[in-house]
Amino acid sequence: MMFPGPGTMNAIGVDASAARRRLASRGWIGRDVESFRHLPPPAAEVWLGEEAGMSAAPGETPAPTGAGWTLHAIAEHPQGRVDARWLDTGDAGQRSELLAGLPLAEVGDAAPFAWAHRALCRHGLRLRIGEPSGAGADPAMTTWLQLRHQPRAAVEAPLLVIEVLAGTRCVLVETHEREAVEGQRAIVQNLHAHIRLGEGATLQHVRVATPRAGERIAHHLHVQLGRGARYDQALIASASAYHLQRSEIELQSERSAARVFGVLFAAGSALEQQVQVAHDAPRTSSSVESLVLASGNARAVVNAHTRIAPGADEAAVRQRLSGIPISGQPKLVLRPHLEIHHDAVQAAHGATWGALPQDALFYARQRGLDERHARALVIEGMAIALLERCLDGPALLQALQLDALLARTVAEQFAAATEARNG
Amino acid sequence: MTTAEPLLQVRDLRVDVGERNVLASVSLDVAAGALVVLMGANGSGKSTLGLTLAGHPRYHVVAGQARFGGQDLLAMSPEGRARAGLFVSFQAPPEIPGVKNNLFIRSALNAVREARGEAPLDAFDFLGDARAAAARLGLPEAMLSRPVNDGFSGGERKRNELLQLALLRPRLALLDEIDSGMDVDGVRATVELVQELRAQGTAFIVVSHYLRLIESLAPDAVLRLDQGRIAETGGLALASDIARTGFIRAAEPEKAQSL
Repeated sequence: MMFPGPGTMNAIGVDASAARRRLASRGWIGRDVESFRHLPPPAAEVWLGEEAGMSAAPGETPAPTGAGWTLHAIAEHPQGRVDARWLDTGDAGQRSELLAGLPLAEVGDAAPFAWAHRALCRHGLRLRIGEPSGAGADPAMTTWLQLRHQPRAAVEAPLLVIEVLAGTRCVLVETHEREAVEGQRAIVQNLHAHIRLGEGATLQHVRVATPRAGERIAHHLHVQLGRGARYDQALIASASAYHLQRSEIELQSERSAARVFGVLFAAGSALEQQVQVAHDAPRTSSSVESLVLASGNARAVVNAHTRIAPGADEAAVRQRLSGIPISGQPKLVLRPHLEIHHDAVQAAHGATWGALPQDALFYARQRGLDERHARALVIEGMAIALLERCLDGPALLQALQLDALLARTVAEQFAAATEARNG
Repeated sequence: MTTAEPLLQVRDLRVDVGERNVLASVSLDVAAGALVVLMGANGSGKSTLGLTLAGHPRYHVVAGQARFGGQDLLAMSPEGRARAGLFVSFQAPPEIPGVKNNLFIRSALNAVREARGEAPLDAFDFLGDARAAAARLGLPEAMLSRPVNDGFSGGERKRNELLQLALLRPRLALLDEIDSGMDVDGVRATVELVQELRAQGTAFIVVSHYLRLIESLAPDAVLRLDQGRIAETGGLALASDIARTGFIRAAEPEKAQSL
């Protein structure tokens, strides 16, 4: 295990102190902050590791493993050129490289999370995907990558920076799966990811975040798209003591497009998805679609906010949020919101609450499936259909074996719901 | 079940849907391997009878009995009825987005096989059977890997019902207007499948308005349902009369004979 030296401690300490000062002067996210009104996050102390019984000592994080990020190939698919740098914020040079180009002063409702992150961040991974200046790049080739994260500390603030170079096509599967291990502490994780797509780049970003019941995690993604770039995020997430998935998408260049689709499983605990999209250029498009399947006494929130700036001519926007209570009396909040400052745009949004399709359930039972199996099959199907809409058909889902993952997640949700029902 | 007891025995079945009475009193018997054609004007209760026998929760049995294979059918869950060997094809089969047809049918088939005490079919064996059955029924093989009925035409949905019938091989199948939306090849495939299964002992209740199909099926009996009651019982001659004169005909309700 490596321990930071005195100079390292200073570098970390200065940053942490500045962040703490900012938190002290501006305060944590209040109950009146609109984005977090329905599911207020735990206090700053939790994310700083200052809660009683928690520890975030720098020495607890083993440096060589790079804050828990590991990169893997996906079956036989091509990897293309990927430059990966695991960087230590305790080293001035590495810190400068890791934080290069990232916003220095976060603003907005979620800024306190960013300050807490800066106070605690020890390591990060910087990925550059594609050939620099396009030299030797095969435009038809797609780079396939899997990025796994396993927590390395009880309280942690991992950082991920991804740059997809101009013209590069990439499929990235990012997983945060946590298996229940007896005696293991429930973690606190405040993760920030900064993703930048160059001109004409495409990133199909499959994200799986299934924390353990007692864990408190917050993932913040900041995505910037260049001209003609496309970003598709397909999220599979399950609830925990507190689970926030927040994506901020900036469509700053003409013809950039983004889709953020999520399947959220909330069984007897808390889960919130926030998607903020800014259309700042003409002919940009975005689509936000979420399906929340909630049970027990879960609290689930989907907050979608899309802003079309003046001059964003021919912007196309779509928000479609759906919530289905499976059992019990979950609290479901779906908030589609459009803020339009330009005339020549296309926009549609809606939220629906409903039951599982009874005709499909009966049909399955009439063919011999018991009620539990029929419900699981129909729910899996709804989730798969949503993800297929995000990923342009079933091919990618099959290649990544996401149907098996969904089947497992649905089974776990049913088990959790049954456990909650039986006390 | 005694040897004298028919496979399906329905007595004085009265069914409400919401506040409305749809079946006033229906009695009928169907023996193993028999084929009964059920005719009736729109709204006479044909589909209600099928969905009630299948155990649809919207159809409330307020009086009467139904026994299937010697068991109280009405006390069984929908899946229990299916596992006991009752198959009801839907007039408008619903779609199940995201669920692949082959996964759905294999799951159903293995649930039924388990109830019969048979080993489950693995994906490879199932796919071989499913492909062969689909080819016979004129259902493109690609439909097996598409979501259940999602984007299927009317005729493709009906062929998909027949595919499940062919693979599940039930003891009794109620086919509700299986020929509607089907082309001439589909109708021919339907007749061939029904004849094949019937030869193996499957009984049928076929709901249809079309004389040509009814004649091809060579039914043991033709029943006319009117205002929630069996109004007439006969043979092919009754079907011919209905085809010629329509359903507007006076008839005294009478109890169906054992078939």
